[in-house]
Amino acid sequence: MHALIQAIILGILTGGVYALMASGQTLIFGIMKVVNLAQGALVVLGAYLTYTLFTTLGIDPFVSILITTPLLFLVGIGLQWALLRPLHGEDVAQLSLLVTFAIALAIEGALSFAYGATLTNVQPTYANYSWTVFGYQISLVRFVAFLLSIVMLGVLYFILQRTKFGRSVRATVQNPMSAQLLGVNANRVSALGFGLGAATAAAAGSVFGMLNSFNPGSHYDLISRLLTIVVLGGLGSIGGSVVAALIMGVASSLVSALASPIWSDFTFFIVLLLVLLLRPRGLFGAKTRGAL
Amino acid sequence: MAAKNSTPELILQISEVTAGYGAGLILKGVNLDVARGEIICLIGPNGAGKSTVLKTVSGLLRPRSGAVMFRGENISALTSRERLSRGVVHVPQDRSLFPAMTVWENVAMGAFILSDQALLRRRLAEVAELFPIVAKRRSASAGSLSGGEQKQVELARSLMLDPALILLDEPSIGLDPRARSSVFASISKLAEDGRTVLLVEQNARSGLAVAHRAAVLEAGVVALTGTGQELLNDPEVARLYLGASARGPAETLAKSV
Repeated sequence: MHALIQAIILGILTGGVYALMASGQTLIFGIMKVVNLAQGALVVLGAYLTYTLFTTLGIDPFVSILITTPLLFLVGIGLQWALLRPLHGEDVAQLSLLVTFAIALAIEGALSFAYGATLTNVQPTYANYSWTVFGYQISLVRFVAFLLSIVMLGVLYFILQRTKFGRSVRATVQNPMSAQLLGVNANRVSALGFGLGAATAAAAGSVFGMLNSFNPGSHYDLISRLLTIVVLGGLGSIGGSVVAALIMGVASSLVSALASPIWSDFTFFIVLLLVLLLRPRGLFGAKTRGAL
Repeated sequence: MAAKNSTPELILQISEVTAGYGAGLILKGVNLDVARGEIICLIGPNGAGKSTVLKTVSGLLRPRSGAVMFRGENISALTSRERLSRGVVHVPQDRSLFPAMTVWENVAMGAFILSDQALLRRRLAEVAELFPIVAKRRSASAGSLSGGEQKQVELARSLMLDPALILLDEPSIGLDPRARSSVFASISKLAEDGRTVLLVEQNARSGLAVAHRAAVLEAGVVALTGTGQELLNDPEVARLYLGASARGPAETLAKSV
């Protein structure tokens, strides 16, 4: 029983970070109908930036979020403007899949060139600190990472619900033609939306680097987990992706504790397969349009 | 009718407009003059290009050649947003509300390009007075309204910028008779306030009844124009389009499937 509850706690804390990564990915899908295969690579990029800021300038990994997030926000806008915006016609969905995969490979290549393929991680002095609460271990880094993800998701929610930009995003998600007819600039919404998606990857990446050993190829594993989460949550639904991330965090943590860590990754693929077979629109996906 | 008394000021002139998608042309030289304050109805068979005319006026589609003049200015090359700010509003055919937003948010989106919040609130109040549903169901999500209610909210939203020209694409499609007559009543009211309405209507009889003037679009050109009454009494129009409107519900059903 103790091991079970310990695994659930760990799963929820990990799931919160995945929720942040996945919310950005599902936001991008909602706006542009683009499955962003580079989301995992952007997380890894965020982790390496954090690593460099920490090892060369001694900037605390949590503090470096204040640098990496705006930086990747701009990178996201640039990527959308340069590579996705020029795509037109009926094949945009397929073409954008190739383009985002190319972005992922380019980031992986650049990181391999700069850092090599050795596994590394970000180890601040408090990396192994943990509390014991009622006999359960709670790692400081995981706990702060979880809180931070919740705060960032709150900021994202506020932007979407309460700002004019947020209204233009929701309008574009729900009815692109109407949004355009009312004066919403689809290109601007797409660019800023892609920027926001990349920004969530950056914030999550800073944390990811403390929780996991990573190398430039880590994005393959990440993107397959993220795809499972956004499909389970329902493509385009941010709330759905948060719930799905928590479910998958707990599920993989339980499998890892009860069976073996080897089976933990496998959990994601089993769930992905089951969702696609039984409920392709996911837990909270709209039947036709995203319900942001 | 009011527009006929004085010398009519032309608010919209469509001249020799050709437009289409891909290689094909849908509009093959459309000419149409619209006077300020009139309701003008476009009728014609499916595929004649009625909706395409509206799209070239609102900027969803750029004309290949020809000109769209609004208040004497050639707006053919302007974006939808620029045309919107000049007073051209387009209410498209299919459900155009944002289903997961509230009614109030939807109507407010009608003034998305306004930055003056005080003006926005004033317009919201005015529009809510014209369309009671807006205040009554303000917190309901738009997707939960009936088809007729949604159309009222769409019309309300289209007034948020106090437009001079409203383009309505098949506003009665898919509505039951009661909702349909209330939509046409709302359209008459729009023109009474001095606005110009360019209406596309599959239901030719109702469209012609509400319109001051009408034009028949056939194979991408305007084949015939006249007052709504003249076209209602034209035997050829009656044979081709008014008889056809008896099949209306079946076509509507086929379209929505």
